Amino acid sequence: MVKKTLLATRPNFELTTKYISSWASKALEYAQEKEVVIFDLEKEKANRLTLETTLQEYSPEFVFLNGHGDYDKVCGQDNECLISANNNENILSGRTVYALSCRSAEILGKTAVAKGALAYIGYTEDFIFLYDEQQKQSPLQDKIAQLFLGPSNQVVLSLINGLSAQEASQNSKEHFLANVKKTLTSEAPKEQKGIVRYLLWDRHHQACWEKKQ
Amino acid sequence: MDVEQNIKNLVIARLEVLSENIGISIGSLGNFSKEELICHVRNGDEVGQKIIEVEMDFLRGLKQGNFYGKENPSGDAA
Repeated sequence: MVKKTLLATRPNFELTTKYISSWASKALEYAQEKEVVIFDLEKEKANRLTLETTLQEYSPEFVFLNGHGDYDKVCGQDNECLISANNNENILSGRTVYALSCRSAEILGKTAVAKGALAYIGYTEDFIFLYDEQQKQSPLQDKIAQLFLGPSNQVVLSLINGLSAQEASQNSKEHFLANVKKTLTSEAPKEQKGIVRYLLWDRHHQACWEKKQ
Repeated sequence: MDVEQNIKNLVIARLEVLSENIGISIGSLGNFSKEELICHVRNGDEVGQKIIEVEMDFLRGLKQGNFYGKENPSGDAA
């Protein structure tokens, strides 16, 4: 059986990238359990040269980008621009992409698909998450951040399980919604008060663009 | 009191509901404590405007009755 292949960029140089990279590692653990071949570009390896070389050499089918971004780009370690619109987005051609990054679905996602990416799932606006100040040293223990980064990981888990990009995005949105409902119940801990609007914001701005058949 | 100030007061009231230990990450704008966010909303700067935008997005969703249904349309880009 041909194994699935996944490349992840996981910069880690301040709090936001520390959180998203830590939580991305959970998705990679799952991928490993499913015998997916993983190319994990962590910290300094999350640079443009290594990304382009690895994509060219191993041609992974899934690309999981973590890092800061803007409407037209996604960044890596120390905010080095990894991929930008009308520049090098053709390196995503033939691949399904999930970018846990602010805003990049708005322009980069569309141009990447126009230039051959099979699908691009990302966020058209800022990805916002809340966290517990007391858990900053151990992001994976943070139950508040989990409400945001758990649903995000569902995109990757769904793709690994063979769902289409649209289905993976829908699945992620359902998990955001499940967490909205959880935080609205009377049993929800007081730490979860007032966070619904941020969960709905991320859900609302997650977009999935696919190449026309 | 003008509309803008009313909106700021509303957003600040919502922020005050958050737990004291909560921090918030807004992408490249940075990480903020609850008290810092309240200051940004009062000042009406970029971070404050972003928080106001989130609140207004939420309230528009409630008003339109699509609390659960409103989402970014996904589809073909090419």
